[in-house]
Amino acid sequence: MSEKIIITENLVKRFPVGDGEFTALNNINLSFEKGEFSGIIGPSGSGKTTLLNIIGSLDSPTEGSATVLGHRISDLSHKESAFLRNMHIGFIFQVYNLLPVYTVFENVEFALILQKRSATERKKAVMQALEWVGLENMADKKPSKLSGGEGQRVAIARAMVKRPELVLADEPTANLDAKNAHAILKTMKTLNKELNTTFLFSTHDEKVMDYLNRLVRLEDGEVDKDDIVQPKYMV
Amino acid sequence: MKMALQMAFKNLIGAGLRTWLNVSVLSFCFIVIVFYNGFLNGWQKQGRLDAMNWEFAQGQLYHADYDPYDVFTIQDAHGSLPEGESQHLTPVLIQQATLYPNGRMNPILIKGIPLDQKVINLPIDLLAKSTADIPVFIGKRMAESAKLSEGDQVLLRWRDQYGTYDAANITIAGIFDTEVATIDQGQIWLTLDKLWKMTGLTDEATLYIADSQYQPQPISGWNFQSLNSLLKDFESAVQAERIGSMVIYLVLLGIGLLAIFDTQVLSVFRRQREIGTYIALGMTKNQVLKIFTVEGGMYSIFAGIVGMVIGAPLFYYTATQGINIGSSAEGMGVRMANIIYPAFGPGLVTGTLLVLVFSAKLVSFLPARKISKMNPVNALKGKLS
Repeated sequence: MSEKIIITENLVKRFPVGDGEFTALNNINLSFEKGEFSGIIGPSGSGKTTLLNIIGSLDSPTEGSATVLGHRISDLSHKESAFLRNMHIGFIFQVYNLLPVYTVFENVEFALILQKRSATERKKAVMQALEWVGLENMADKKPSKLSGGEGQRVAIARAMVKRPELVLADEPTANLDAKNAHAILKTMKTLNKELNTTFLFSTHDEKVMDYLNRLVRLEDGEVDKDDIVQPKYMV
Repeated sequence: MKMALQMAFKNLIGAGLRTWLNVSVLSFCFIVIVFYNGFLNGWQKQGRLDAMNWEFAQGQLYHADYDPYDVFTIQDAHGSLPEGESQHLTPVLIQQATLYPNGRMNPILIKGIPLDQKVINLPIDLLAKSTADIPVFIGKRMAESAKLSEGDQVLLRWRDQYGTYDAANITIAGIFDTEVATIDQGQIWLTLDKLWKMTGLTDEATLYIADSQYQPQPISGWNFQSLNSLLKDFESAVQAERIGSMVIYLVLLGIGLLAIFDTQVLSVFRRQREIGTYIALGMTKNQVLKIFTVEGGMYSIFAGIVGMVIGAPLFYYTATQGINIGSSAEGMGVRMANIIYPAFGPGLVTGTLLVLVFSAKLVSFLPARKISKMNPVNALKGKLS
């Protein structure tokens, strides 16, 4: 049996709204195993991103628990959650969030600098990550000179360069055309296969769903469906 | 820290014009502060040196009744030192007199000093060459105000030891040039022997100028004034000027720091996604806070570098060529040379830079503190929380 790296138990997240509260997630009980290529799907406002943020230790549950890689998120201090993200979790965002003053190389290298890796080690790892995403010739370019697809591929390289156990991708194809979306999904699927990295997507993009092995559907903050599926596209 | 420095450096360089506008304002502050302090340092150093060389040497021994700020004490404040007490001391006798240049009446001081004195720079020995009956030496300021030239004869009236008025024509045997107005304006110098003869106050002096080997010891009827106490008023004037100039520094610094503060407030607001990304990538909020604070400090380091590049030629030129302030300061009652050579030491430059760095870091830290309260999820969304 595979190792469970994400476990949520009776997870509830509420946000204060005016005088009352809004329940974004209600009684979520899920687990994800190592090496999964899964997605949390559902309409806008269903709680996908909130769940991803809690799993990524950027936020904490109001009730219940989320345990990621053996760490109970609500028990982590700021420093401990930063360490968890730094060492074990990669993030891919909808708007790439590349640092504009850095080159492609430096953007990817940044994650390794935070891990205090040596310059030689960093260079080797960054070039390999750029090779994975096919951008090894664009290392010196600034993000402003890249197309949307290239920018997102840099974000994938940045998330993957430290070889994390878990990659959280929040609507990674939302700003991409179909061709670029397929290209980056193939890249991620390949990395999932080759490095056995767990990928967890938050998406409502059909193209993404066509690559996933498991679809967890959220509806108004609750798990509506949790299906193992046969992906349309294989790598 | 190394990472924070590298990131702050890249962020500032990447920010382009915004950075250089802030750096320009701060470097202007840096140049003005260093320059004005250098000017005050130069003034102080030069004033002290001139006072030593031309007037006070290593200190002065005053007759107990003598008060340089009270003209009524001058006429009667004179006496002789006990036998054997005058070693390493040069006597100066001071008397009140009236000069009548071109029919005008000028109250003045006449000062007698030995012809062979070496304790101050006054070239009194030049009087030895004169064949005039009463040859005197005056400074250029005195010559200008009394409209006297070398070789002119002018009527002088003074009082002798009994208080009896006497008068004679004196001859301007020489005009000396000095930066020290207090031995020039409103006074004439002649040999002590001649003044003794004119007043009948033989072997008497109002004060004695001490050389470097003089060891002060209590002498009845005489008070020793150390160089520091003689320069106390001058030092106070410089100090007052320094305090006054603090207002200018504060205003200048305030403008520069306000620019940084404004930039940082905007930065924290505009760069929320970036802050969120740093946190998502594994930085702690304190590490992000450090980057923003270091960025502020780095503005001032850039300003120091730019200030030195632009200011160094100016500093070098003024320090070697001096700043001619003419005679504008003479009426102010402070000791000030016509040409001031500013003194820019490494301490001044480093000290000013440290003040800039510290204050810039402080004003950067204040808006950046918001980061520590920022929700990373909202930061990633670019929502102000």
